[in-house]
Order: sequence, then structure tokens, then C-alpha cells
Amino acid sequence: MSTSQAILAGWMEIPRSSVQDQVRQRAEEEEALAALVSQYAATLYRVAFSVLRHPADAEDAVQETFLRVLRHRDTLGEVRDNRVWLIRIVWNIVLDRKRRSKTRPETDDVAELARVLPAKGLSAEEITAAAQHHSRVLACVDQLPAKERQVLMLSAFEELSSVEIAEVLGVTESSVRSRLFRARNRMAELLNHSRSLR
Amino acid sequence: MNPSPRNPFTPDSVSAYGPGTVEATLRLIATVPAPEGLEDRIQASLAATPQTARILAWPVALRPDHGWMRAAAAAAIVFVVVGGGWGVYSRVQPGMQSGSRVVPIRVASPASGFSSAGAMRTPQTLNGPVAPAPVVVTQAASGAVKAQRKPGQKPTGTAKKAAAGKAAALPAAPAAK
Repeated sequence: MSTSQAILAGWMEIPRSSVQDQVRQRAEEEEALAALVSQYAATLYRVAFSVLRHPADAEDAVQETFLRVLRHRDTLGEVRDNRVWLIRIVWNIVLDRKRRSKTRPETDDVAELARVLPAKGLSAEEITAAAQHHSRVLACVDQLPAKERQVLMLSAFEELSSVEIAEVLGVTESSVRSRLFRARNRMAELLNHSRSLR
Repeated sequence: MNPSPRNPFTPDSVSAYGPGTVEATLRLIATVPAPEGLEDRIQASLAATPQTARILAWPVALRPDHGWMRAAAAAAIVFVVVGGGWGVYSRVQPGMQSGSRVVPIRVASPASGFSSAGAMRTPQTLNGPVAPAPVVVTQAASGAVKAQRKPGQKPTGTAKKAAAGKAAALPAAPAAK
């Protein structure tokens, strides 16, 4: 080994203790991430599906969410509420994807809904009729303004309180309530209008 | 579906647009079961993601978390600021105090000349140029100038004028018959 190589090796030495620390820290982060996946993957999938209404897209969104978490795993210790934090990430991802996929038709495929939605003890005709009904309702939901639609969709998740919805959307709780009130009134008008047309 | 006590938006409170039509649909969408093997697929994708490994590390003495590097940086900043200030201070002379007015020095008018008429400053006049003594051109000298001219050379405009003046001065020659 020449002198310069020896100097370089001494300069860029790899401290054994720091390597061990890093390995240990990485193992802890991986464990924490695996725990997050097992605990919140289903919830995130349902949030993603409520916006995208496509199983494969929803799964992709969940995967992207955890990839982002993996990229910013250094900040995991600073997160106060992991669940709300993850829902906020997946919410932003699915909204972004929805915005990009403007070419996709807004109306849901009735057959896809009939396949995905749980329908125990129903006949095939009843399942189809229910899917058509849900499809009409979702079409009306899509006509709402974005802010009101988002609050209405998040309010359907039982595990989210109004405070947590406000945290996910980055608004105050009072604005969540006012938006939800407006969304309900608007939905009533839309449903009455669609009922009168039939 | 049992309303959660945490969620204030229970179907009972929804009566504005019918018997929870929209609410029921959205809740049905919100309770869609996750596909089987979702967690495994996510774990596999996370494991397949290349993670940035840090192979080389700073030496212990040069790590940023050591205090002496921060102190050295602070000292360098202080040195630059103080040195720059001293450089400016050493070049600027503190001759004038604040509030003083600069008044030009009054130049006394010469005793024999005009008065300065109250001017704050009068320019110093210089000694004007002295005209040289007039040169007297003699006849012999003009003849020498003519001799220096070549025979084939045409007289210039000034030479023509000089020759015309000389001819007018001479008596007229008798006309040839």
C-alpha cells in the first residue's frame, strides 16, 4: 500500500461502532415500517379505493405511500399520529392520481362495483340493482365541488373523527363541519333532481 | 352498520337528503375489504427497493456533530467580519466631525488687482504667454528660399499670392512690339 493510499484509508476510515449503530438503526426502522404496513395497509387501501374506485390503482397508491414513508423514514420518530399521517399521505397521492387521470370516465363501472362491493345474501339481480344505485349516487357525489366532496368522502370512514379529517385536509374543524353541511344540502338537491328526471 | 362513537357523522344525523342514501353508499365504499396478500406485496416491494447505504463515513474528529468545527466556523466568520471592518476603518480618516461645514479657504486678492467681489474663492491667474519678437524677413533670405525651390515645381497658393504681390510692387515691363 502506498503512502497516499494509507492516508486515504485513514482519512475515510469506517468506524466500526458507527456501522453497527447504522445497522441497528436500520433494522429498527424496518421493523417499525413493517408494523405500519401490517397495521394500516387495509385502512389506506380503503381510503385510496374510495377516491380511485379501482382495486389495482388503490393498491398502487398504498404501495407508493409506504415507499414515501421508507424514503423519509428518518422522520418517523417525529410523527405524532401515524394513522392520520399515513392517511394524509395516501390522500394526497390519490388526489394527485385522480387529477392526472382525467381521461378516465368519471362514472363508475357498474359491473366493477358489483364485483367489489360486499353483498352477502343478495341475488345476482339484486346485486346488479344495488350496484346501479350506488353508481348513480357516486356520480352525484362526483358533481360536488372538490372541497365538499373530499369532506363527504372522508366522513364516511368511521375511524376518522372530525378533528382527524381536518388534520388530513389541513383545515380547521369548523370548516370541515360547514363543508359537510353544504355537501349534504347539495347532495339532497342533486338526488332530488336525478329522481325527478327518472 | 354500527355508527362509531368517534365519528360525528353518523347516518342518524343524515336526514337532509333522504334515509342516508349517499351516506350508505359512501360507507359501503369505505368498508371495501382489502385484497388478500396486500401486506405481503407491499412488504416485498419495500424489500425490493434499493436503500441508500452509507459505506464511507467521516472520520470521528471531522464529524459535523463535533463542537469544534462549529466553533471554527464561527471564528472564521468573526475573523472575516472584523478584518473587513478594520480594512475599511484603516483607510478612512476620521478627519471631519459630524455637523461641521467645509468652507473653502479664502484667497486674498492681490493688492494691486481687482477685488474679489465677495467671491468665496478666486482662481489663481497664471502669467499669460509672452509674444515672441517679430521676425524680419530680409530680401536676401527670400531669394535663398526661391533658390531652394526646384525648377519644375509649381508654386503653391501662398507662393502664387506672394509672387503676384511682388509683381505688383515691381514697375511694369515694356510691352513687346
